[in-house]
Amino acid sequence: MSPLYTALLCTFLPLAAALVLVLVSPLRRAGLAAGLFSVATALIAFGGAVTLLLERWSGAATPVRETVRWLPHAGLGGGAHARAVIELGVQIDGISATMLVVVTAVAACVQIFSLGYMAGEPKPDFGRYFTWQSLFLFSMNSLVVAPNLLQLFLGWELVGLVSYLLIGYWWSKPSAARAAMKAFWMTKLADMGLILALLVLFVDTGSFDWTVTTSAAGAVTLLLFFAVMGKSAQFPLHVWLPDAMEGPTPVSALLHAATMVAAGVFLVVRAFPLFEQAPTTGLVMAYVGAFTALFAAVIAVVQTDIKKVLAYSTCSQLGYMVAALGAGSQVGGFFHLTTHACFKALLFLAAGSIIHGVHSNELSHMGGLWSRMRVTSVAFLVGALALAGVPGLAGFFSKDLILEHVLERGLWAPLGALLVAAFLTAFYMGRVTLVALFGRPSAHAEHAHEGGVSLLAPLVVLAVPAAGVGWLGAKLSGLYAAPVHFHLSPVGMVATGLALAGLGLAYWMFGAPQGGGRLRAAFAPIGRLARSGAVNARFAWGYGVLGGVSSIFAWFDRYVIDGLMNGLGYATLALGARLRGLQTGRAQDYVYVLVAAMLGVGAYGAFWSR
Amino acid sequence: MGLTGYLLLAAALFSLGVFGVVTRRNAIGVLASVELMANAVNLNLVAFSRHHAGPTGQVFALFSIALTVAEVVVGLALVLLLFRAKGDVRIELASELKD
Repeated sequence: MSPLYTALLCTFLPLAAALVLVLVSPLRRAGLAAGLFSVATALIAFGGAVTLLLERWSGAATPVRETVRWLPHAGLGGGAHARAVIELGVQIDGISATMLVVVTAVAACVQIFSLGYMAGEPKPDFGRYFTWQSLFLFSMNSLVVAPNLLQLFLGWELVGLVSYLLIGYWWSKPSAARAAMKAFWMTKLADMGLILALLVLFVDTGSFDWTVTTSAAGAVTLLLFFAVMGKSAQFPLHVWLPDAMEGPTPVSALLHAATMVAAGVFLVVRAFPLFEQAPTTGLVMAYVGAFTALFAAVIAVVQTDIKKVLAYSTCSQLGYMVAALGAGSQVGGFFHLTTHACFKALLFLAAGSIIHGVHSNELSHMGGLWSRMRVTSVAFLVGALALAGVPGLAGFFSKDLILEHVLERGLWAPLGALLVAAFLTAFYMGRVTLVALFGRPSAHAEHAHEGGVSLLAPLVVLAVPAAGVGWLGAKLSGLYAAPVHFHLSPVGMVATGLALAGLGLAYWMFGAPQGGGRLRAAFAPIGRLARSGAVNARFAWGYGVLGGVSSIFAWFDRYVIDGLMNGLGYATLALGARLRGLQTGRAQDYVYVLVAAMLGVGAYGAFWSR
Repeated sequence: MGLTGYLLLAAALFSLGVFGVVTRRNAIGVLASVELMANAVNLNLVAFSRHHAGPTGQVFALFSIALTVAEVVVGLALVLLLFRAKGDVRIELASELKD
């Protein structure tokens, strides 16, 4: 099969699956059958994506770009627009092939995981869930293979819609319904940036391609970045992401950790030629990204809900990616997207497995799971260490690459923020791991046990890339840019040192008095070092300060940033209340205004505009 | 008679329709006035079709007539429901969407 048809299959098979599930309601209402059907199509799509990547991997294939005319543009004025044609199509190159594999792989794992995780749901709801999962895969794939910004925008809006549907899966729960609304409106607000960027770009160049040279690059890229801030949860538009954890945990893994939130980063990677034309936007991105990385990491330290920790961690890691792209490193941003998708999906699914076993999200309800849920614990540990940046695991490579680029550009403040964030990342992941897996078992955790094979198989499968994908970095980056040669740079060593220090601090503070066994013995020297001498008091003081600062940040996030956004909402409502006097509810009054306006426009056209 | 005559007639019909839509209190009267507006437009379409000596306008007019019929069906159904709910067909009774 030619690459074009493979790509079309990857994209449209999930759509077909979703349509079948919508139209053939006996299948949808049958529950498990609907799930298996959806999983099968996702696996086929994954197979197609792997084929595409392997073709590129062997170096034989050239980029494929096939488009069809969608709308001919009938000359809006003269110049560049007169002959413009709006196209839809498929573009397969190193970037989209890699992204396709990431998306379909995580989606397939998540769907298989959901078979077990959602098993307790009523059958019709189970079918509904998988309908939307398939619809999501179609939306995301159509975004990934898009040959221009317009089609990317279509996919972008579709994933936003599916995100809303899946966050609000438990729609009868008020908090879930509210969270879904919040996510929808926050990202919609940001999407205004994308559509405005498209307009500016089209007016300026008569094209939606990202390869064009435009004189309005600054405006276009700033507007695009506004959209990215919404979708990829950058400060201050990140407030929807932690709330989005109201959705089922596999949904959080797929949409709100690995793929959909990365769409913003993917947009920048795609439109990189445009961003290269606007150095100022890059600077803004580097600062916003680095600040988000630090800010979210600080908040993650004090969260008590395991999913909230991971959610803020996602914010923080997205900040890393944005900062890398801002520093002009396409490879750094995209590679971190790839590695992050692997280990964050793994972490979320492992957290889902833990929640399934313990029946609670609260860290204090866990503990001692190492001996009760061994497979899940090992998977979680691998993910946590990869995220923390332990040498050899995935996160280490991409983080090192990003820091090196930021240093090269001489962006000192972002570099500092990112380094501190690396320390905090290791610390909060160490905390979660030690408390949940090795801590004193709570009453809830006493009877925790592993779920079925559909819960465990995805963990095992995802643990492999989470541990090893870093080693493929040079080859993967070579698919779309000059291959990067990984080497341990000084700044990388500093970051690794900070990460190990973070883990050590976490061990010193939360190190388990029971459970752990061999692992605890391995970490013991670090713990002894931390415990020794007079540093104790200072550490305790330091943690007090850290906790205080963290709480202040969390408070700031909850009341000031959220409040600002809510205030915007209330202001709109108040304005509406004032204006509703104009609304009489009588159709005739509206027609009256309509006619008057029409006459006004007609008169203007007839008399004054000449 | 040239194009102008038809256009003037259509404009007059349209204005009468608008006047009716805005002032009639009876819902059926409003519907009838909407019909008048639609037919003024159809007249324009046919007149231009004749003027340009092409079939496009007539085809459009046929489409438009078919659509208008469908619209009237919906409209009359609404009036019927309004009558059932309120026992009257005065249009200002249908203003609950305000709240």
